[in-house]
Amino acid sequence: MSLSLPRTPLQVFRDHLRAAPGRMVHSAFRTGTPSTDRGRSSFVFGNVFLHLHSVRTHRWSLRWMTTAGLGIASVAAFLITLVTGVLLMFYYKPYPDVAYDSIKDIHFVVPTGRFMRNIHRWAANVMVVTVILHMARAFYTASYRAPREFNWLIGLALLVTTLGLSFTGYLLPWDQLAFWAITIGANIAQSPREVTDALGITEHFDPGGLQRLLLLGSDTVGDEALIRFYLLHVMLLPLVAAMLMAVHFWRIRKDGGLTKPADVNQRLGPPPADVYPVFTEEPVKTYHLAAIVRGRTPAVGSGPEHTVPSMPHLFYAELGVLMLTLFVCTALALVSDAPLKELANAQVPENPAKAPWYFLGLQELVAFSAFMGGIGIPAIVLIGLGLIPYLDREEEGTGVWFGGPGGWRLVQRSIAFGFSAALIVESIAIRFGWLREWFPDIPQLVVTAINPGTVLTLIYAWYSVWLVRRYGSTRAGALGLFTCFLCGFIVLTVIGTYFRGPNWEFFWSPADWPGGH
Amino acid sequence: MQKNKWLLLVSSLGVLALLVVAAVQENYLREWRQVQATAVGDEGPIPVMLRQIVNPGLGTADRCVSCHVAMGPGEQGVTGPQMALHRPVVHDPAEFGCTVCHGGQGRATDKADAHGHVRFWPEPMLPVSMSEAGCGTCHTATGVPRRDVLDLAAATYARLDCAACHRVDGRGGTVRPDGGGMEGPDLSRVGLAGYDPSWYDAHVAKAATETSGPWATAFGPISAPDRAHLETFLHTRVAAPRLIAAKSVFLSSGCLGCHKVSGVGGDTGPDLTRIGERDPGQLDFTPVPGRRSLENWFSAHVRAPSSVVAGSQMPALGLSDEDVQALTLFTLSLRRREVPGSYLPLDQIRVARLGVREFASDGASVYAAFCAGCHGPEGQGHRAAGLAAFPSVANPDFLGLASDTLVAETILRGRPGTRMRAWADGTTGLTAEDVPPLVAHLRALAGVPAPSETRPPRWVAGDVREGERLYAGSCAGCHGAAGEGADAPALRNPVLQELATDTYFVETVRRGRRGTAMPAFGTPSSTYRTLSASELESLITFIRSWGGPS
Amino acid sequence: MTVKPGATRSRLDPEPMPRRDVLGLLSLWSMATALLFATVGMFRLPKAAVLASPSKKFRVALPDTLAAGEPFVPPGRAVAIYRDPEGVYAISTICTHLGCIVHATTQGFECPCHGSGFTASGEVTRGPAPRALDWLQVSTSGGLVTVDEGVTVPSGTRVPV
Repeated sequence: MSLSLPRTPLQVFRDHLRAAPGRMVHSAFRTGTPSTDRGRSSFVFGNVFLHLHSVRTHRWSLRWMTTAGLGIASVAAFLITLVTGVLLMFYYKPYPDVAYDSIKDIHFVVPTGRFMRNIHRWAANVMVVTVILHMARAFYTASYRAPREFNWLIGLALLVTTLGLSFTGYLLPWDQLAFWAITIGANIAQSPREVTDALGITEHFDPGGLQRLLLLGSDTVGDEALIRFYLLHVMLLPLVAAMLMAVHFWRIRKDGGLTKPADVNQRLGPPPADVYPVFTEEPVKTYHLAAIVRGRTPAVGSGPEHTVPSMPHLFYAELGVLMLTLFVCTALALVSDAPLKELANAQVPENPAKAPWYFLGLQELVAFSAFMGGIGIPAIVLIGLGLIPYLDREEEGTGVWFGGPGGWRLVQRSIAFGFSAALIVESIAIRFGWLREWFPDIPQLVVTAINPGTVLTLIYAWYSVWLVRRYGSTRAGALGLFTCFLCGFIVLTVIGTYFRGPNWEFFWSPADWPGGH
Repeated sequence: MQKNKWLLLVSSLGVLALLVVAAVQENYLREWRQVQATAVGDEGPIPVMLRQIVNPGLGTADRCVSCHVAMGPGEQGVTGPQMALHRPVVHDPAEFGCTVCHGGQGRATDKADAHGHVRFWPEPMLPVSMSEAGCGTCHTATGVPRRDVLDLAAATYARLDCAACHRVDGRGGTVRPDGGGMEGPDLSRVGLAGYDPSWYDAHVAKAATETSGPWATAFGPISAPDRAHLETFLHTRVAAPRLIAAKSVFLSSGCLGCHKVSGVGGDTGPDLTRIGERDPGQLDFTPVPGRRSLENWFSAHVRAPSSVVAGSQMPALGLSDEDVQALTLFTLSLRRREVPGSYLPLDQIRVARLGVREFASDGASVYAAFCAGCHGPEGQGHRAAGLAAFPSVANPDFLGLASDTLVAETILRGRPGTRMRAWADGTTGLTAEDVPPLVAHLRALAGVPAPSETRPPRWVAGDVREGERLYAGSCAGCHGAAGEGADAPALRNPVLQELATDTYFVETVRRGRRGTAMPAFGTPSSTYRTLSASELESLITFIRSWGGPS
Repeated sequence: MTVKPGATRSRLDPEPMPRRDVLGLLSLWSMATALLFATVGMFRLPKAAVLASPSKKFRVALPDTLAAGEPFVPPGRAVAIYRDPEGVYAISTICTHLGCIVHATTQGFECPCHGSGFTASGEVTRGPAPRALDWLQVSTSGGLVTVDEGVTVPSGTRVPV
């Protein structure tokens, strides 16, 4: 040191050049190799992508049973659709007929195009499944309760966005399947006319027509509709989804991580030997910054016992789920090609024209009343779901599967009730028809108000009210109602998928369809 | 947290394995790659890559040449176990692509998809045996003769052994021993390209000057009728002999009586103009034997219409297998593709702009095209199960009594209330000029001249009441209580009443109509009542009362 | 995981990470390999295997009045076709500099973009063009001329009519 001669400017320059790669890395990550707990912590909160995680993760959150990784799987599926979707955009041309040809090109001549399209399609389906299951998980573990009410609402918005993304993607291939599914979808958007027509006020007040016009940009499904759906699919909805997801994740941290039962530490017992390092001594002081934060933020005041560093424990779990999701999507993509039917033809309707599978339950309801099935009942369900965290202010069973009065037994009974009620109502409607068949002159308004869909909704509502009284608990009613609606959704979706044929008539098997299909 | 590491490890390895499988599939196992790997070009193995023919004008992007490499532009030299050359055609595949003629899915690169034998492709490939149906996409043959004329023309060509020197449709012709090419020119396309109208004189002159060789030994004089047959033969050589033969069968089976093709024909059956484009996916194949292909559906339908399409009014025509094949080929050829003007062929322009006809305009041809389906090829009438009988129009007893005016006007104005429509209303492609030859053809079929009429058209003056009684007793059973027609033709028909003479009625009842159910009421019989001359007159007076004042 | 649970630790101590976590590293590396493999596949996608442009080969009929050395440019094609007593030849009118379409005259070619000039046989006379204009493969049959824009031939190659 002392012997060092003054360096020439050129030497200085050379030394800086030598040091540049190392400095580049350091400037990006700031910390050195994250080999210690502290290093790992600063690595996590020094990284824009990783800092959405808290630095330490509770052992409870890492149990497979706690979340089954469904949230991460949804994100993974979203990322997969994002990447493959961007790739598909290299070749996709959003103009009628040309769009169909470009999908054919993607399928037949674009290098890896067929595979990417299949992955895109399957990841989209996987995402719908995982999002629904994720919601069910959050519900059954009563994770929507305070302080996570708002995040439950964000989750609902994400569910709607996810379905919207899937639905808008449905039109883009411009084949018969797409064209007629969207035609039906657009007419569902117009279905408030069913009510306004019956009341005779459509001339003055026509929200249905406006919705349809906004969706299609024209009176038929044409190039205007295609460009709108394209815009929604590749731009608006992904942006909305990404923003909502960011808020969703951030709120998980701010709401104190994943829901844990009150007696979580007793349930977990002492940490096993392989979990290292886990704090064993009482904290000397609590987090200074967190102490300033007012309110009931759950992280405040509780020590880091029973937590492990997020890096690497949480990240292994997340990456594992990510790769598992990727595995499922690629496996499905290899086994089954994404469908592409004939070029869209406005003169030849598909019969039956079926929406994507997750809307077939709604389509089954729509077959009874377009307004109630397509807008009324879904709106009731969404509003009901949104209100649950504000009505259920109880504390019993938070963070525990099927927690709450009644518990698993109640859910079992509700499954039985939900399935039977849906099957019975459907059977009656299929076997004997409905009001219009019995009284041909019946006003439309009566059919709109009283149809298998609304009747089923009322039965479920009645059952739920009964549960609230029986157990003296809102949570019990909510458990029953949610389970019933889930069962109803499954029954209607299965009937719509497998048992409906041309003219939406009931068939035991597609082999019985007329025309030798 | 070992579990999560295992999860990550197993999933990652799983993804890797799947990606390898996908990569192998994509890069090695594609059908076209394997086909190209076996092919050899002029300079050794050909580069394995996707090949295609793009023609923006025709809207084609045909990847067929990814497997059929040797048919691609500039790749005639490629050989291999699965390489076949396209036979020489006017339309260079390198320019026109493949699907415009053959159908199928040009954008596809897998065999089943490309050939269109998949559920969701509405335009499957035409079978090779019916590939000439593809010509119908753009072309329409004009002036096609009846099948007997065409057969005679072909027979004449064969009998005179023109094929000794000339090549037609890939057959016949000899190569000069000294290597000067073919002896006579190829005549396969002269129907389109044209030929020297004075060919016969030129042949005779040439034969007279030569002293040796085929000209001196093989050519002799040809009679005028034979020359006419040869002209017919030459006129129909448009490089699509099967399609011409098929169209000839179609135009000889009276199909235009019920069906319209490009605005010509009747309206009883569906318009056939683009019937060849039907999507097999939209058809019911339950009653159709064999593969689910359009040609199978068409042949089953032509054979027994009502068994394939429930409620079809089309009678079973009792066709031979050969004719069924021909009609299937023709129906398949009824297809259209929007092509820019520069690709529009002359024949199509002639038909669309100049009104040139697709069939010959003589009486026999017009009869065969429009009338033979219902009235029979010989005018003998037609009975089909489930349908009222079609009258015999070439019946000598009928034509012996009916004036030319009656027959002609019946064709022009039809018989309102029956299946016989007015043919000269400008929507059928039949015109008033066609009717006199048609009537002449009917007379030739029946072998009777027009009746020479001495009496005025209206002369009967009998007792209407007696006539009514007689009608109820003897006629109402077949002709209907009010003459509305049942098994027998309607007598209350205004056109008949206006145009038929009293003599026509009287004589028809008296003499009957042989070959039909109408007996001769003037001849004593044990099965029906014989009518005297005055009774006849009364009966006709009564029948005439339906026609209004005379 | 070799650390004994009973050992005294302070939460403020830097906590050691196990040196050799074979399973963890293996899983991370296999993930990296899989994702890298996927990325390689994805990068192949934008390189189109077939082009949407029509065939480079076209047929055209030369006007009867075409004088020797006078260029004939078929509509929609970047080719000048000539006919002289020695035969037919075609010169690409795509500038060898940056691909503008050069203007063909009887004297030669002028590029409107950066001022390159070419002689009637395509040799560069001025401007930034690095090499002469391409001569294209020509064949004749039945009075029609077939030009293949995809195949170049040595300068001066003529095909007898």
